[in-house]
Amino acid sequence: MTRRSFRVICCSVLGIIFALGLFAGSVTHYPYALQFRELPNAPPSALHWLGTDGLGRDLFTRVVYGTRVSLLLAPAAAMLATIIAAILGGIAGLRGGWLERLILASADLSMSLPLLFVLIALRAFLPLDVSPIVSVVATFVTLGLLGWPSSLRVVCAASRNLRQSDHLLLARANGYSNSQLLFRQVIPTLRPIFLAQFWISIPLFILTEATLSMLGLGVMEPLPSWGNLLRGSEDFSAMSANPWRLSPLFLLLVVVICFQFIFSSSEDLA
Amino acid sequence: MAIMTHWMLKLGQNLLLLAALAVVGGLLCATMVRFAPGYGVDERELDPRLSRASREAIRSENQLGGGLLSYYVIYLSGAVHGNFGTSAFLQRPVGELLRERAPFTVRAVFLGLLTAWIAATALSLATIRFQHWVLDYSATAVTGFLIALPTAVVALLFVYFRAPVFLGIAVITLPKLFRYQHNILAHAHAQPFVLAARARGVGPNRILFRHVIPLARPALVALLGVSSSMAFGASIPLEALSDSPGIGQLAWQAVLNRDLPLITSITLFITVVTVGVNFVADATHERKPA
Repeated sequence: MTRRSFRVICCSVLGIIFALGLFAGSVTHYPYALQFRELPNAPPSALHWLGTDGLGRDLFTRVVYGTRVSLLLAPAAAMLATIIAAILGGIAGLRGGWLERLILASADLSMSLPLLFVLIALRAFLPLDVSPIVSVVATFVTLGLLGWPSSLRVVCAASRNLRQSDHLLLARANGYSNSQLLFRQVIPTLRPIFLAQFWISIPLFILTEATLSMLGLGVMEPLPSWGNLLRGSEDFSAMSANPWRLSPLFLLLVVVICFQFIFSSSEDLA
Repeated sequence: MAIMTHWMLKLGQNLLLLAALAVVGGLLCATMVRFAPGYGVDERELDPRLSRASREAIRSENQLGGGLLSYYVIYLSGAVHGNFGTSAFLQRPVGELLRERAPFTVRAVFLGLLTAWIAATALSLATIRFQHWVLDYSATAVTGFLIALPTAVVALLFVYFRAPVFLGIAVITLPKLFRYQHNILAHAHAQPFVLAARARGVGPNRILFRHVIPLARPALVALLGVSSSMAFGASIPLEALSDSPGIGQLAWQAVLNRDLPLITSITLFITVVTVGVNFVADATHERKPA
């Protein structure tokens, strides 16, 4: 099987999972916070395909809505990080000199600190008792705002190489301003690199959100995400008695592995 | 003599940069502390039994009251003398907490990195040396699977199997390290001089150890700095979930309890350690002056 067909399969799997999250309201008829108080920790049945959690909420519904949160917001955060890296890296590579050194030094400072530590430290400066929607937005915006440094280095190196290229020299000779050079020449030329950085960031953000939510610092209950659905997994006896509760982990693995295959193809493109 | 002067200058520049980065990192953290919601509120002030003088004393304990820069100057001058303030949550001096917890985390990170480096190096050297598709696919599949697991899930598995924290750090760091190492070594192995050496009948082991590794060495040494940052990041969920008394667990508790002086000091500590390791890694592969 060729790499191309692997990529097609992975894209199809991701498409199905994305659609599942996007049309969650049609896939399941239960609200994600609805409790069936008489049925806590119920096993899978025709009414509850993945059973219920400790509070009697339908697990399939929560997994589907959690897919929406994790899969729609991680690309948004990746987009934010890639845009920041594209603009800053493009400027640094094109202008060179002290500006490049300053931007690269700030990226180095950000990269020298563990991302997870910076995230939880930043999270400490936001109130802990925020509404679930605010917690989702805060988590992913913070991820987007902090996830740019490694992409910036790649973009900066590529735009630095581009600085001396013939077509940029020609554009300069034609009187293009720096902003025109950046938006009309550099960014379109580096699009495959941005695409690759975008793909790399998505699984990273999905995984980071999962870890943050498992530590109780990400998406807040009752809104589900793959991370906070796995929060109960430290109760090993409950997990071994109800293995279907690990379905968010299974989905997470499938999605990240699919992204890895797609990313390797995008890397070739870049 | 010229080389010695060059090294001294380089060392001075890097130490200056290290100090500047630590100061900037700490200042950023202090700024966030100042503007964090709930700043300046101390619930002890609500106690009706306290006199006005006691309430004033509580307020004066909060050194940020004099403004951000003066707080930071006071904080830094205290830090230079080993006084990092008092943890609001644990009611103990922060310096004492750091001294107590740091050895555990540093030891776990060191052992974890050592294990991950040995395993990743062995695996990437084997895949480059034997160039066999079974080995290549197996290594990619195993590391791909490990990368796809959230750090907190790996931490939980280690709690379940009662494995030591350093092994968890090794398992979390290994796949990323393997990928970087494999790419660096594969790039060096694809150079034309390697092909020329093979054409001349030089053995694969000799090519690997005499030509490929020396060429890849600067990039591999630089990777040491990056991997230390990864390992510190991995220690947070591992220590938090396995209830291990290290800096990672302290950081997590500080966040949950909004212990801002403790967070500032831990940020400063981690900035100094990770930037310091990067600095040592950079310094060891600096080239001699022409």
